[in-house]
Amino acid sequence: MDRKNKRVSRRGLLKTAGAAAGGVPLAVPALVTGPEPAGRNIHQRPWWVRTVERPTLGETNSDFQRFGGASIFALYRDLKVQREGEAALKAERAANRRHTAEWIRQKKPGFGLRDRQLMEAGWTVMRSARPGEGLLAWTRVRVQTPAELGVDRYAASPQEMANTVKAAARFYGAGAAGIAPMNEKYVNLRQGGKDIVFEDVDAPAVGEQKFVIPRKMKWVVAIAVPMDLDLIRRAPTALGEGATTLGYSQCAFVVGTLAEFIRGLGYQAIPSVNDTAQSVPFAVDAGLGEMSRLNRLITPAFGPAVRLCKVFTDMPMACDKPVDFGVVEFCKRCKKCAEECPSGALSFDDEPSFRVRGPWNNPGHKAWYEDSYRCFQHWQEVTTDCGICFAVCPYTKAAKAWVHRFVKAAASVAPPADRFFRAMDNVFGYGRQHAPEKWWSEDQPPFGLDSEQVRGG
Amino acid sequence: MGRDYHTIRLRRRPWWAWLLAALWLLLMVAGVQTAVASGCESEYRAAAVSWVLVAALLLVGGVAWWQAGRAA
Repeated sequence: MDRKNKRVSRRGLLKTAGAAAGGVPLAVPALVTGPEPAGRNIHQRPWWVRTVERPTLGETNSDFQRFGGASIFALYRDLKVQREGEAALKAERAANRRHTAEWIRQKKPGFGLRDRQLMEAGWTVMRSARPGEGLLAWTRVRVQTPAELGVDRYAASPQEMANTVKAAARFYGAGAAGIAPMNEKYVNLRQGGKDIVFEDVDAPAVGEQKFVIPRKMKWVVAIAVPMDLDLIRRAPTALGEGATTLGYSQCAFVVGTLAEFIRGLGYQAIPSVNDTAQSVPFAVDAGLGEMSRLNRLITPAFGPAVRLCKVFTDMPMACDKPVDFGVVEFCKRCKKCAEECPSGALSFDDEPSFRVRGPWNNPGHKAWYEDSYRCFQHWQEVTTDCGICFAVCPYTKAAKAWVHRFVKAAASVAPPADRFFRAMDNVFGYGRQHAPEKWWSEDQPPFGLDSEQVRGG
Repeated sequence: MGRDYHTIRLRRRPWWAWLLAALWLLLMVAGVQTAVASGCESEYRAAAVSWVLVAALLLVGGVAWWQAGRAA
């Protein structure tokens, strides 16, 4: 190579290096947001969330059957009368009403009129829907079907069908969505005084005596709707409960619109929030998270701060697998929720077991069962729901500080460090109640959600 | 008659010193990011603890730098 060519070569090298350096910011987003290859799951999780064949917690035995479907509120009322008598129940309700009014008049932080009504109004959408009616209708509401449009129904590979539904779910407001196979044992036996039955029919039906789910509905879209972290940190107050009530209304909106979307593609869909079936096992099977000491789901992005809902459908989709990111091992060592629970309702057992705590638990699966009676009794005392267990869980974190992602990843791959992370969680002051009255003067994002966190869901 | 030149001695640092310096820098960046982000997340105690850790780390780094300079 002569001298001139050498010089050109050096310059060429510099130009190449410069172009490469300048291209990095362009190339990286292209890699991240490029077109999805066919057959790939669009719901990519962080590297430290491993897919597994069986859930990390939830092993079942022969006692596992469909849950009766009794409302937890009705169970509490009956148990209260049974244990302490009718007079105790009446006295408790009177005290609840009296405290509610007194605290409003006293402007007790988090329990004032605006706090309580913010929470109550959060129910609006949810309360306008009942299983089989309105937003939660089991059959088409208004959308035109492909047959009415004179076209074939939507057809694609199972993975593309799943991706389509997940994209739509995120569009309507889901924080995370996954696909699980239908498991009839997760479906309640009864609701609203009617049986829930599976039959070989073409469409779902709500009759005088029964709710009919077609056997051909073999897929379940499990959905997690993230709750407002800034409100959860105000628990237990009326203001804090707003995160729950709005979460339920968002669930009704998401499943109602998603079911209508699926019907518009030419398939059947049944939207469900807390009704009809247990949401948690479907969410576990769909890989949205792991069961925990709370006896609730913990998700990688939002921790336990989610409300769950689902849509049953006959639209064929590729199913997801359960995930493992170290939650069960972390819960064995942490116990912060059980320590902070004011009613002592959560289990301190080192290991999950099949031992249930009362008729509110559906027996036959391994879990850290909770004492819902104690939990509800505490609700009566504070006049709202509680939520302290959600607020103090070390997985309940916003996504701005990188260190949270590092800790979640480390807890996933190095369980021996769990005790250290638990100790640090206390040192850094996480889980302490934030001043309720300050919430009203803070600049809140829509639905109280950190956009970085939602993107990572 | 004085010398009309200076002698500059370049001391080659061992590989582990560079590694420690890189680790220190990484911890500093992580600490500052945590402190700032915790403030944005209204986690004021976490922010305060993070700033204390950053200050401690800065002090340790400064002392180590000074000691290394004296040893050279």
